Amino acid sequence: MIIPGWVEILLRTTVAFLILLAAPKIFRRTSIAHFSYFEASAMIIIAVILAVGSFHIGIPVGYSITALITWVLIVGVVNYISLKSVSFRNFIHGKGIPVIKDGKVLEENLKKERYTTDDLLKQLRARNVFKVADVEFAVLESSGDINVLLKKENQPLTPKDMLIPVAPVKEPQTIVMDGKVMDEALATVGLNRGWLEAELEKQGIAIENVFIGQVDSYGELTVDLFDDKIKVPEPKEKPLLLASIKKTQADLEIFSLQTENEQAKDLFKNSASEMEEVLKTVQKYLH
Amino acid sequence: MTVGSQVKQCLASLKSIEANLNSLSLKAEDEEARHAFHESCLKTRKVLQQIEARVGELEYEEPQYKGF
Repeated sequence: MIIPGWVEILLRTTVAFLILLAAPKIFRRTSIAHFSYFEASAMIIIAVILAVGSFHIGIPVGYSITALITWVLIVGVVNYISLKSVSFRNFIHGKGIPVIKDGKVLEENLKKERYTTDDLLKQLRARNVFKVADVEFAVLESSGDINVLLKKENQPLTPKDMLIPVAPVKEPQTIVMDGKVMDEALATVGLNRGWLEAELEKQGIAIENVFIGQVDSYGELTVDLFDDKIKVPEPKEKPLLLASIKKTQADLEIFSLQTENEQAKDLFKNSASEMEEVLKTVQKYLH
Repeated sequence: MTVGSQVKQCLASLKSIEANLNSLSLKAEDEEARHAFHESCLKTRKVLQQIEARVGELEYEEPQYKGF
């Protein structure tokens, strides 16, 4: 039986497409821009084998498949060995090379990698560094990118630098999407529809009007509405609580000064200092 | 405003703070935050009880201002 050419191409192409779907499994999980030279070549070779095999009827199917399997095996074996051995990994995927160290450009390394000064400046600018003098250390990665460690005084200021205590945060959960309640996300934060309805009622919003609703790790609900003309009140619960703790603390102190009863004076003074401690403990969580 | 009513107002604030801290300690997901809220809640409760007792004394001293 002779199959007409176009039917064969149709079949071959379908098979090639199915193989293509499985192909990402054999590669490292990384963006194509960060593929090493070896991986990029292997990917292109596999793609070409699939493409040619799908329409070149002159080549027997078996040949294409043999080539394909061989390449897939090679990639698999190389990836496996490079998982186990550092030196092999460096050989195949390349290794980061320092191009700036102690704030000084290493011209030798640049020359070795055939990297021009313009390339270096361009890559630094891509990292928002316009002045070489701001850089303490920079590495030329095997993908061609440059990663930069700025000098400490040029790094962004962090709360740690300022010795400011900050409250830990966990990832927020998206509990409403396009007006639909995500029950699973609600359950992961230990909340339910009843809570959501009560919370929306407080803000005076109908659930159908909510485009995105997220709840943070302190149980605070923030929403974006379909109708952007409606003003959503900002959550005020925590700042209010903080203000009311401060006020109470101050009141207690005033009472302790006003009263003439010695016993009551002591009691108010104690209470005031207790509230001050409370303020200190919870302050960072309520900002 | 008499001293008695001022203290009563403060007591009401304390009650609200206590309740808010309690609800936050239940809602917070972070263990450390939970602990901080709980601890503060207990402290506030202690203060609350002391002030409550003082309100009782004030009411006994000035019975004309009893109640809210």
